[in-house]
Amino acid sequence: MSRRKLRRTWLSWLALSPLVVASLFPFAVLLSSALKSPEEIHDIPPRWIPLEVTWENFITMWDDVGFGQALVNSLVVCGLTVLFTLILAVPLAYVMSRSRSQKTKFAQTFLLLTQMVPPMVLVLGLFQLAIALGLVDTLSSLILIYTGFFLAFAAWMMRSYIDSIPYELEEAAMLEGASRLRLLIQIVVPLALPAIAVTAIFTFINAWNEFVLALTMLRSDDKYTLTIQIFSQVGGRYVIAWHHVMAATAAAVVPVAIVFAMIQKYMVRGLTMGAVK
Amino acid sequence: MASPRELPRYVLFAGLPGLLLAMFIIAYPLWRVLALSVADVSRFGKVRGFVGLENYTNILTDYEFLACVVRSLVWTAGVVGGTIFISIPVAIILARDFYGRGLARVIVMLPWAVSLTMMAIIWRWILNGEFGMLNHSLRGLGALDNNVVWLAEAATAFPLQIMIGVLVSVPFATTILLGGLSSVPDDLYEAAAIEGASDWRQHLTLTLPLLRPFIKIAIVLNVIYVFNSFPIIWVTTQGGPGNGTDILVTYLYKLAFRFGKMGDAAVVSLAMFILLMGLTWLYVKLTTKNEPAQA
Repeated sequence: MSRRKLRRTWLSWLALSPLVVASLFPFAVLLSSALKSPEEIHDIPPRWIPLEVTWENFITMWDDVGFGQALVNSLVVCGLTVLFTLILAVPLAYVMSRSRSQKTKFAQTFLLLTQMVPPMVLVLGLFQLAIALGLVDTLSSLILIYTGFFLAFAAWMMRSYIDSIPYELEEAAMLEGASRLRLLIQIVVPLALPAIAVTAIFTFINAWNEFVLALTMLRSDDKYTLTIQIFSQVGGRYVIAWHHVMAATAAAVVPVAIVFAMIQKYMVRGLTMGAVK
Repeated sequence: MASPRELPRYVLFAGLPGLLLAMFIIAYPLWRVLALSVADVSRFGKVRGFVGLENYTNILTDYEFLACVVRSLVWTAGVVGGTIFISIPVAIILARDFYGRGLARVIVMLPWAVSLTMMAIIWRWILNGEFGMLNHSLRGLGALDNNVVWLAEAATAFPLQIMIGVLVSVPFATTILLGGLSSVPDDLYEAAAIEGASDWRQHLTLTLPLLRPFIKIAIVLNVIYVFNSFPIIWVTTQGGPGNGTDILVTYLYKLAFRFGKMGDAAVVSLAMFILLMGLTWLYVKLTTKNEPAQA
């Protein structure tokens, strides 16, 4: 049997090899370029392994790219988006899970549908919304819109988890005289904590990675989120400091990628939303 | 699971703020887009008057718009087609045990962990004509004699953008299909093996038919995502050179925020929205069909 597995190992890796190479290619380039000096990055032909590994880019890009301010902006936007999303979505998820009325069923289906509308299609209208509220070029505009868009996803993800918490627990507590609010805070939230945590992380990453809306709403570079700040070093520039861009990209990408890799499997559940069971 | 009786009204109200915000964030912009589509709008979004269907006829007779519709279709078909074509065998391989499978899964999923924007920035550097690693690698392999400035021409840029799109879409599609494969009972394969079916035969006769619903879901979800995907094209070429790599989303963005033609852009938005609703309807039909009425 083990020989069969060995044979399958060879065949599997052989078949996967083109995809493996293509998947790793950008990461290899990212690391290789981020560690090259500004002179070496313009050597022809380019080398995979830098002659001299320089970590300096990670220090010099901080000011040159404006990494610090953008990082703070991104953290503010993502942190507050997560906070507001959870505040609004936890009670919503609870109602979705426990209510049986036709109206809530209808609302749930509606929320599922809104999930399918990408912000891109409505970007014009959202920009008008920001104008109407006087929020153009503010981080608040992003927090408001992200919360509105990510809420449905968050509520649906947590709902399926709350479904698995037996209602008898709550009934027993109610017989003891606990109020609904106490039920939610002392029973449902603690039991659903893993789902809430995963939902929070997804919301954070979604906000962290968002591009179109941030590009549209933010106008001055002291407001840029990290994604937009790094993009602004590339888009529409004649001279691009690629060693800094790559260092900044690596610094922005790696922490998120690690967290993402850890919780990815939960993501599929949320994204396909009951379709794949 | 389900509650024995209906919740008191004040509990239902607790869910209301979230629901209202989720509705508002769709409804208000949608209404604005509708209003803009029949209005004469200044560059800054000020409505100057009602023009009826003028914006609509503008767009429908705009050669560039029609070219973008075609390119959007090519883009979506190319990326989704390529993704599914690669994901099916990859999922089948990853579903069966072999040495190093855990590592293989991590590598295959890796592109998903990075945002599209960042991935596109890296690729823009890879495709650089002078210093890029693609030219260097292809020349090293002897596949290329001279450096190609990949992004300088639509004829080379667009296929590469599709390829990047495929690479970043494979992880998600593979994960959906892996979910489907995990529901295939192992003894089914054992029975087939005892009957003397080869690996290849087993997959053709057992796996593919069982995977079909999951393939459909992967296709529809990917079509929705890819059709509306903006960062890859915007970061690598901004739809250029000329409008050679513009698809509907990038053209829409340019119309609105570059050319200041808000009214025309609103019409494009609406066209996309309607198409999207159709796709969503298809998705809901696909996903609810095999599911018995929910308890």
